Amino acid sequence: MIGDALESRAREELFINLNPIQAAGRLTPEAMKTMISYGDGYSTCDWCQHPFRLDKIDKPPIAEFHTDLPEFLGMDEARVVPGARRGFQAVVSSLVDEGDTVLASALSHYTEFLSVEQVGGIIREVPVNEKNVHTGKATGEKVEEVKEGTGELPKLIFVDHFDYTYGNEHEVEEIVRVANEHDIPVLYNGAYTVGVMPVHGKELGVDFLVGSGHKSFASPAPSGILATTDEWADKVFRTTEMEGDVTGRSFGIKEVEMLGCTLMGSNVIAMMASFPRIRERVENWEEEVDKAEYFLEEFLKIEGNKVLSEMPRKHTLVKVDTRESFDQIAKGHDRRGYFLYDELKERGIIGIFPGATRTWKMNTYGLTWKQVKYLAKSFQEIARKYDIQVEE
Amino acid sequence: MSEDAVDSLFQALYSLTDIREIFRKTSPHHELTEDQKKQMDELIEKVRKNLDEIEGEMLE
Repeated sequence: MIGDALESRAREELFINLNPIQAAGRLTPEAMKTMISYGDGYSTCDWCQHPFRLDKIDKPPIAEFHTDLPEFLGMDEARVVPGARRGFQAVVSSLVDEGDTVLASALSHYTEFLSVEQVGGIIREVPVNEKNVHTGKATGEKVEEVKEGTGELPKLIFVDHFDYTYGNEHEVEEIVRVANEHDIPVLYNGAYTVGVMPVHGKELGVDFLVGSGHKSFASPAPSGILATTDEWADKVFRTTEMEGDVTGRSFGIKEVEMLGCTLMGSNVIAMMASFPRIRERVENWEEEVDKAEYFLEEFLKIEGNKVLSEMPRKHTLVKVDTRESFDQIAKGHDRRGYFLYDELKERGIIGIFPGATRTWKMNTYGLTWKQVKYLAKSFQEIARKYDIQVEE
Repeated sequence: MSEDAVDSLFQALYSLTDIREIFRKTSPHHELTEDQKKQMDELIEKVRKNLDEIEGEMLE
């Protein structure tokens, strides 16, 4: 116990955790060590000297991290931010005015909506196709629709490389091509890519690249990354020009959209501590997808099981459909839908939504092969226990 | 100033964190490979040494 009221959180130590949004945010041991050492509020500010901004601090080497990060992401400038959503917010606040239109896919994250609503803009959704993919073609059609309806082009296009619902890959390059034809900037939402797979912003041709520390960069929440090109850096990372009318105070190189310093304390240090392993692990992305593929191959041997995400998989996050298998058992079970949660927990597996037996999401990212094989075996064992056929 | 004892404190916590990582990588049954057993053994030894250092500096 921590004090009288807080239990130690030991879910990652005691169980295999399939929670779809937790997988790639689990800390590296190095990040865990920084939480011990740099947890105090202003721990990053011990050696903060002129010009007094987080990304300029040399000790600990936060400035160096801000040099390495854009290089790693194939962009020109980067800042750490308290979550991907704060990256969306900074870009939208810089580019979008009241009444302006912004495009986002029908599978986009809700915080993209909120960032637009906050400035009085209007989100228009690009429908996904029958495979639940956001395409360049549909984006082009929506651009034309907005142009015809309002007389103006959208001010920004969001593209989620992989979405949070299906973990499907969307047509980033085709969408960028359409955006370029109309000279509309593109914000790449890499919440499920930056930190797990290689991402090069300029090769993709995007103007803004946003990542999530706690989703995919083995970092604590909230943490994230906003990167951009030289073309946009002065706009999004513009510095304050305001002066106090009584005191005449001004605040030097503090950046308006960042509200000065952004991600202080242990969160930024944890990102830095995880960074060397992040560089390594993005090169192992194919193996992570192979593990997800292996699991699904075994999972689909259970009669009635289906995968709702695109196949073959290109991501480790997946949405499955067990309405014709486990949900049939749930209907007659005393614990109803909770039976599956109970059976998994008994086997040391957690993270699927308690009570879910219809459609649900999971993520195998970061599990060892031994854990993935055990996972597959456990689902089959549960199926057999309830007389669901399992292909041998 | 007990600089050595404080350093030992952090080193012990870091070694315990490395042990924590072994628990994570081997959940839920924690069946360790020979390499992991060796690594665990070394880490436990390091923690013991660090605790001895703290005890030596602070209590003796």
